[in-house]
Amino acid sequence: MYNSVKNYFKILVLTLVAQGLFISTAYSEEAGHYGLGRIATQEEIAGWDIDVRPDGLGLPAGSGSVADGEGLYEGQCASCHGLFGEGEGRWPILAGGFDTLSEGRPEKTVGSYWPHASTLYDYIRRAMPFTAPQSLTADETYAITAYVLYLNEIVDEEFVLTKDNFSTIVMPNADGFFEDDRPDVRNPTCMKDCKDPSLIKVTSTIAGVTPTEHMEEGSSNVAEEAPINEHGKGVYNQSCAVCHNNGMAGAPITGDKEIWADRITPGMEAVIKRAINGYVGEDGAMPAKGGNMSLSDEDVAAAVHYMIEQSQ
Amino acid sequence: MKKLSENTTDLLQEIKTEAAELPQNKRRDFMLNGLKLTAGTALATAVGKVVAGQENLPPNVPTWQKSLGRGVVSVPYGQPSKHEANLIRRTVEWLTADKIASISMSPLHKMKGIITPSGLHFERYHGGVPEVNPDDHRIMINGMVDRPLLLTMDELMSFPSESHIHFLECPANGGMEWRGAQMEALQFTHGMLSGSEWTGVKLSTILQEAGIKPGAKWVLAEGADAAGMTRSIPLDKALDDTLVVFAQNGEMLRPEQGYPVRLFTPGWEGNTSVKWLRRLEVGDMPWAQREETSKYTDLLADGKARKHSFVQEVNSVITSPCPENPIKRRGLLQLEGLAWSGHGKVKRVDVSLDGGVSWQTARLKGLVLSKSLTRFGMEINWQGEPLLLQSRAVDETGYVQPTLSQLREVRGTNSIYHKNSIHTWQVQTDGAVNNVQLG
Repeated sequence: MYNSVKNYFKILVLTLVAQGLFISTAYSEEAGHYGLGRIATQEEIAGWDIDVRPDGLGLPAGSGSVADGEGLYEGQCASCHGLFGEGEGRWPILAGGFDTLSEGRPEKTVGSYWPHASTLYDYIRRAMPFTAPQSLTADETYAITAYVLYLNEIVDEEFVLTKDNFSTIVMPNADGFFEDDRPDVRNPTCMKDCKDPSLIKVTSTIAGVTPTEHMEEGSSNVAEEAPINEHGKGVYNQSCAVCHNNGMAGAPITGDKEIWADRITPGMEAVIKRAINGYVGEDGAMPAKGGNMSLSDEDVAAAVHYMIEQSQ
Repeated sequence: MKKLSENTTDLLQEIKTEAAELPQNKRRDFMLNGLKLTAGTALATAVGKVVAGQENLPPNVPTWQKSLGRGVVSVPYGQPSKHEANLIRRTVEWLTADKIASISMSPLHKMKGIITPSGLHFERYHGGVPEVNPDDHRIMINGMVDRPLLLTMDELMSFPSESHIHFLECPANGGMEWRGAQMEALQFTHGMLSGSEWTGVKLSTILQEAGIKPGAKWVLAEGADAAGMTRSIPLDKALDDTLVVFAQNGEMLRPEQGYPVRLFTPGWEGNTSVKWLRRLEVGDMPWAQREETSKYTDLLADGKARKHSFVQEVNSVITSPCPENPIKRRGLLQLEGLAWSGHGKVKRVDVSLDGGVSWQTARLKGLVLSKSLTRFGMEINWQGEPLLLQSRAVDETGYVQPTLSQLREVRGTNSIYHKNSIHTWQVQTDGAVNNVQLG
């Protein structure tokens, strides 16, 4: 007894010391106002902080050549982006499109539009290949980046991209962007005679480019359900639901899987027979045809099927 | 049925006979139930002949009133009526290469008020919806901070929180119509827009907990999805009204909306409200990520592109009538619409019935909140005349929603993003409504 009390105090003191130490680290004057969370370790940060800035901050050590990039690109990228960066289907076009930015149909590619090479490295590193993000090594990412730059004629085929020479890459459209300067339009709030009605020209849509089936006259607004035993459901609602929805007179509740699994043990035929002829037992009483003798045997059978379907 | 009413007496006799054979203790219940059922069916038969398709209309008693309905927790998480099956998000398949990096639109034509049910909030994914386990989810704060932090969801939710009602809009909303009208439904012209009550911790609270170092100007927000979605947010916005949100419309965020935690930048383009938020990095310059250089920059006619165009300027659209809601009868018609501004409150909405020749000021209906969807309405008397319906919103900064011609004049047609121009619905003499543009 004495020992256990002594041990208890020993543990208590140790706990207090431990807590005191904890408090002195987490709640020191350096701690935030709420003292929530813990300090992230350098290792944890290194695992998650994968971004690369235009000034090169965040680039990992490593290198990759255009030649190595070609093989990697053909294996990992070409199925969506095309062998020459031309893009398959609606997947992004990566190369070309130079001098198209002010045309009617501009082609915004890595070469024609992207202002920084760092974005290419960063994006491949975090999000590519599409189906296996963050699966490439630093060197593989350098190599693929180099190859996409090569496809855009920004580097030559001998080029080897490294952390150290990254800052020498200048993208063709580096000066193509400006900071938000909106509002760029001013619409006066005219209320009357704002324009000449005879000059209004109305242009409609090109029909058939958007899905509109749901808007057509008579299109069903009702959820499609799995095909159900409509006849049985009707009979059930009319003649069976009053007891079988709530278990009146010991009736097995429709939807109660456990009870119904038990009830159908003797077989479907026996259950239907019981429903037609009535049944009285320790577990409840079932009037013949639920007391609705206008129902045919087929009606009752359909209702029984419905109840069992709803209880599986 | 008929047979029953003719043979009621016989039936009662039958029940009586059967009941006589029952053990004494069962007899009472049996008689009671048998009689109840017989009385019920006899009553239903007495109604007489029923015209097909009108079984549920007066003077008939509707079928759903003649049987008991389902009880509590038969559907533990409630669902809309099966008769509202058309009230769903939709996409336009050809817009994107794949559904994993794609967008769906909210059914604005059927929505009421200023809150979008969470399950109808438009979707935008760059790498699909990640299934994040909240117990294994962490929010890292690193970069130019005194103390790089790692927060659990429980710790995040232990900071003081706030709830605000705001719209969220993809800046590409309406972007398919710069060159001409092509979407034949409101859901597709304006449906990249939703409104919710968002609950979360102010980003300023979390950044101050970590301690912002002098010289810091930007914050990078990063998602835990397959795209590792990232955006650079100016520190001013981060310290203003930006929230780290964990709940939407009274419950934890839906997976589609960033469960268990997302950034929320009120009034700004939806892409900056990074979902499945896993990391916030403080720095002294923007990171020039893919989604703020290659995408979400606005290419102008001269080949130069506007960047960091964050704010969703004032916009509005008439939601009824619209292509999905044609006019069904002559007489008084409740015209209704939505207006919103990323700069603050909607001050006024004007409506034109004649393609912008003359305008009348509409009524603002209900709540008028900053950076929130705002309802407007007007009663018109329609007698079958063709109309060119337009709405024009003005926000509290005095900025007036522009015409499409005005926007095209300064931006050309290649911008994709931030098309907030006055929209036109053409009402035909039969009440049908088409999407048109005016030259």
